[in-house]
Amino acid sequence: MADDKRTKSTMDKVWDFFTSLKLAITVLIILAVASIFGTVIEQNQPMEKYQHVYTDASVRIMDALNLFDMYHAWWFLLLLMLFTVNLSCCTIDRLPRVVKVVRNPKTTLDEGLEKSLGMVDRWKKKGSMDVWADKYSEIMGKTIGKPLVTRNSETIHLYAETGVVSRFGVYVTHTSIVIIFIGAIVGNVFGYKGYVNIPEGGTIRQVPTRGGTKPVDLDFAVRCNKFSLTFYNDKFGNPTQQPKEYASDLSIFENGREVLRKKIVVNDPLQYKGVWFYQSSYGPTGTATAQVLAMDPAGGPPANLALAAGQKVDLPGYGAITGMDYQPNYQGAGPALLVVLEKQGQPSAEIWLPQGKPDSDRKRNDRYFFSFGGLSQGFFTGLQVAKDPGVNIVWVGCTLMVIGIMIAFFMSHQRLWVRLTPSADGRVDIVVAGSASRNRLAFEKKFEKIQEDLKAVAT
Amino acid sequence: MLNVRLFDLTTLLLGAASVNYIAALYGKKDTLARVGTWICIIAAVVSTAAIGVRWAESYKMGIGRIPVTNLYESLVFFAWSINLFYLIVEWKYKSRTFGAFVMPIAFFTMVFAFTNESSIQPLVPALQSYWLHAHVITCFVGYAAFAVSAGVAVMYLLKAKREEAKEEGGVIGHFPSTKALDDLVYRSIIWGFPFLTVGIITGAAWANYAWGTYWSWDPKETWSLIVWLVYAAFLHARITRGWHGRRAAILSIVGFLATIMCYLGVNLVLSGLHSYGGS
Ligand code: HEM
Repeated sequence: MADDKRTKSTMDKVWDFFTSLKLAITVLIILAVASIFGTVIEQNQPMEKYQHVYTDASVRIMDALNLFDMYHAWWFLLLLMLFTVNLSCCTIDRLPRVVKVVRNPKTTLDEGLEKSLGMVDRWKKKGSMDVWADKYSEIMGKTIGKPLVTRNSETIHLYAETGVVSRFGVYVTHTSIVIIFIGAIVGNVFGYKGYVNIPEGGTIRQVPTRGGTKPVDLDFAVRCNKFSLTFYNDKFGNPTQQPKEYASDLSIFENGREVLRKKIVVNDPLQYKGVWFYQSSYGPTGTATAQVLAMDPAGGPPANLALAAGQKVDLPGYGAITGMDYQPNYQGAGPALLVVLEKQGQPSAEIWLPQGKPDSDRKRNDRYFFSFGGLSQGFFTGLQVAKDPGVNIVWVGCTLMVIGIMIAFFMSHQRLWVRLTPSADGRVDIVVAGSASRNRLAFEKKFEKIQEDLKAVAT
Repeated sequence: MLNVRLFDLTTLLLGAASVNYIAALYGKKDTLARVGTWICIIAAVVSTAAIGVRWAESYKMGIGRIPVTNLYESLVFFAWSINLFYLIVEWKYKSRTFGAFVMPIAFFTMVFAFTNESSIQPLVPALQSYWLHAHVITCFVGYAAFAVSAGVAVMYLLKAKREEAKEEGGVIGHFPSTKALDDLVYRSIIWGFPFLTVGIITGAAWANYAWGTYWSWDPKETWSLIVWLVYAAFLHARITRGWHGRRAAILSIVGFLATIMCYLGVNLVLSGLHSYGGS
């Protein structure tokens, strides 16, 4: 027996430890302080980088404490676990009590309760108890809620309450945290993050994943039809160097059939079968070529030339042309191309061809004049790829958290009791008492108002 | 630009209001504080107009958007929120002593904004998201509430110390009671906390929409979590015996310091500590 008692009390002690608010505050503060380390020490860098910055001894100590990847370190996860256990135990400990209190409200005002309440008032009235009880019920119904009427022997009790849900706001908030954790775990276990480059016109069926050794096979194919990059214009309408939009025109193929096509931009990803594709980066494939038209002033058919930088292109029987330089904003008039023209027996000539003025070269009065139609550059698009089946659980948790916090902070469980007893002098003794679970100040005003209404009413 | 001119005027007004409130406290002249209130109201009108003008001007430049997208804009929005939050507090609590402790925060925020690039720049693609607007607005309203709370927490500590020493009178004698101050420290935080919570969530939603990860432990995110944890600790401290009052007030101040670290320190300090460039 004695043994039994001791084990129980150790159990109790353990339980008390895990349900204590002190532990919660301590863990919250330790988590906050610990998190700072990871912001001061840059995370997940190659070892050489750390050795460059810190002394060998500190690198060894920090590495032993996993400070270079601390948010995934065993001790950090242990802290999170302690936090979750604390939270869960606390809920298990308290929630049933709250449910009990809410389901069995104290509907009669006895002396013990009356003494424990801050807001109490009393007065006497002439007349019949039943009539007063009816009157008061009506008034309470208008301000706080229809009262429950209890009669025992000579006494009549009225009880009304509002905002009972506010008692559960805290538990909704706490549960939401656990839900978010579950969502995060689901995402980590069943999802993946990857990154893939697709050249324009290229198709992929696999994605190399972060931290994974094998690429993930998609059960569909993704093609990049086109990547485009646009820039903001300056106030004259000419393009600046400030990027405005990175966009990839993507198609999803299943069994050789295009099932979905979407132009994605940063902040507007494509989703198919739970896999998300995010515009992340881009780069050139090969070198840029300049599109130049060689036109015949006499009206003959123009020749299409593609000039790669610095490479001579022959025009048989005429000469050779080379693209030398490109400027996105030549003399403030938009993009232009610099070409060098070499004709047999003549010195080579440098000519600027503004894209906006296709006829500018006509004034040379030659067999051909040239007009610049723009640069063409092949690109690849870089896509983040993510599959996270836990993310919706996380959003549910987040929504519940906000709702829970609102309920906990801005609602209040307000209760009002009225007791009517026959007085020795033949009148009716009336006691009114109230309580609010939070924001007492506001309720005190409401209580005063109700009380005045009750006092003022006549039969 | 007109909007910047108006923000500069706001800076002067908030400075003048701060001086009035502090002078009123020392000179025990309520008229000065009343003038302070009027200056704050004018500053609120001017800065609201400035935000509207900046918004309109951005449309005129063909890059229309709510002005909450860079450091300058976030600073002026922060100061705007503090000023408004403060006016509500002053009106609800019928005391003008808070001004001396809260208004300087708004003023120095504006001074700091003044030293930053104020022109309207087009948004880089990563910032073109409605989540960004929701994120910045909610975060900064939260920060403003924390600023008010910390200012009042300082008052609480001064007053509590004075009461302990059983001294009366003086400047601090004019403060509201410790009970009222403690209550206001708390009340500001229960406004700030939900806003910060929504701020972090919208930030996560934005990150998820832009990059496919709602949480990546980058320094900014982590600091916002630290701030959140400190205020969560505060909320629980309040309902634990023995953690009322002094310790809660200290947590409120620590929380606001963490807020400033999250907001400015991460960009200004940590990149220096990182030794090898920011992340
Ligand atoms: C960051 C995580 C947490 C958040 C956001 C949170 C949120 C809240 C909120 C908003 C309240 C209401 C406070 C008030 O009424 O003033 C509360 C109360 C409470 N929390 Fe937490 N909490 C967290 C962690 C924890 C943990 C780990 C425990 C573990 C014991 C805990 C135990 C409690 C208790 C016992 C209450 C009081 C409930 C009551 O009034 O009956 N909380 N929490």
